[in-house]
Amino acid sequence: MIEFQHVGKRYGGRFEALANLDFHVRRGEMVFLTGHSGAGKSSLLRLIMRLERPSRGRILVAGHDIDRLHPSQVPFYRRQIGVVFQDHQLLYDRSIFHNVALPLEIQGVEPREGARRVRAALDKVGLLHREKALPIELSGGEQQRVGIARAVVNKPALLLADEPTGNLDPQLSADIMALFEDFNRIGTTVMIASHDLALIARLRHRTLRLREGRLVGDQEAA
Amino acid sequence: MSRRPEAPARGARRHRTRSTSRLRGWLRHHRAMALDSAGRLLRAPVGSLVTMLAIAIALVLPAALWLALDGARLLDAELTESATLTAYLAPGVEAAEAGRIDEALGAQPGVASTRLITADEGMVEFQQALGLEDALARLDTNPLPASVVVTPIDPGPAAMRALAADLEALSGVEEVRLDLAWIERLRHIGELGRRVALALAVLFGSGVLLVVGNTIRLAVESRRKEIEVVTLIGATHAFVRRPFLYSGAWYGLGGGLLAWGLLTLGGNWLAAPVAALAASYGASFGLPRLGLDGSVALIGCSMLLGWLGAWIAVSRHLAEVKPR
Repeated sequence: MIEFQHVGKRYGGRFEALANLDFHVRRGEMVFLTGHSGAGKSSLLRLIMRLERPSRGRILVAGHDIDRLHPSQVPFYRRQIGVVFQDHQLLYDRSIFHNVALPLEIQGVEPREGARRVRAALDKVGLLHREKALPIELSGGEQQRVGIARAVVNKPALLLADEPTGNLDPQLSADIMALFEDFNRIGTTVMIASHDLALIARLRHRTLRLREGRLVGDQEAA
Repeated sequence: MSRRPEAPARGARRHRTRSTSRLRGWLRHHRAMALDSAGRLLRAPVGSLVTMLAIAIALVLPAALWLALDGARLLDAELTESATLTAYLAPGVEAAEAGRIDEALGAQPGVASTRLITADEGMVEFQQALGLEDALARLDTNPLPASVVVTPIDPGPAAMRALAADLEALSGVEEVRLDLAWIERLRHIGELGRRVALALAVLFGSGVLLVVGNTIRLAVESRRKEIEVVTLIGATHAFVRRPFLYSGAWYGLGGGLLAWGLLTLGGNWLAAPVAALAASYGASFGLPRLGLDGSVALIGCSMLLGWLGAWIAVSRHLAEVKPR
């Protein structure tokens, strides 16, 4: 599903954020990406989302070299990836319903069909009863679940998450991770960047460890 | 990415329904964004009105100048139509001979009609025009020659000049006068005015682009977060641009309508003095109005400029957030 071939990323010609990354995430896998802040986790996810381009090497997603995508194709590529952000990236002037509906609106999905899918996604994350609320009225954990609902409303084959439990207490974090596991169980490839080592250890999935932009560990699921 | 395999026959039909539903979705988004951006403008009425007024003021000056030139063109055509030559006959030509010369002139090719003014008639006209009846009455002999006013078929300056030379060669004709200088001067002024109007239109049109561009730039700035988020989840540039383009077009529409109102108001305000001025010259000259074509052109140009200004503003922003 995701294949990195000797990928490196430099910023401003000097600072090497990522160096010689070589790994392969299979379809349907659930993978954690760990490392201290600044180890390159976010840079790696940004490369997969094609928010940035590698300075060297190739990145294949579903068999396609994403560096070769024409700029006009990039939006359509991104629609196939669900992304959960640490800071939620919700729009605070829209209701929960409309936040989750945003990817469908972008794709021009018919409103009635869209509403059905939005409610299904909100139901999955347990927030169906809050669909009319504004994000500001929700707790951090609830906002994160809205972010997850928005990421999966499209039924993407690949789900990326950048520190999805960053500011949550252990119980909420475990709930969020359980949600990701649910999506993984129905065939979604999931990649989660997190520095919550205790939680990761308990979940027993494959873990890629980054240090100073290099891959220093690739531990298969126990 | 992962699509369920489909039978080819169904695939074709599915493709068609998918593209029609995509078209429907696209139209739906256009409608939604047109309404949404109109709503945003209405929710900030003062700011929107100021922008529209700025557009209107920028449009009024070139449009008014263009209208004035249009009026001048009408006037020019009228003057050209009334362009005549005057053939002064040699002094001492008798009335009977003057009649014969008049007929000879009328038979010349290129002459539409002639009108003989005898020496006596000329004197009467002269006295009336100058109000010098007393002074002229004291003259013993009439110093004025008889003259023939010739209306040419072709009122163009070159044709008039050639005809004048031909007529001057006839016996009994002393001199042919054609007063083209002031007609030509008027034409030069008209040409100058047209160029000034064009330059002003370009300048003020750029002004409209800047006004709308700046307004939209601020709108983009205030919705930066939203643009960022929708781009992250796969919005195309067209999708991001759309609401702003509609805003630009709405600003243009409002500005165009205001400009139209200002022109109509100004036209009514100036109509009375212009008519009085024209009457004092014995002409019936009214200010030209925009008319349907002109109104559509004005408002259409205004909307187009608004749209273009928005396009430039959003595109600049989108170019900034391109991935490295």
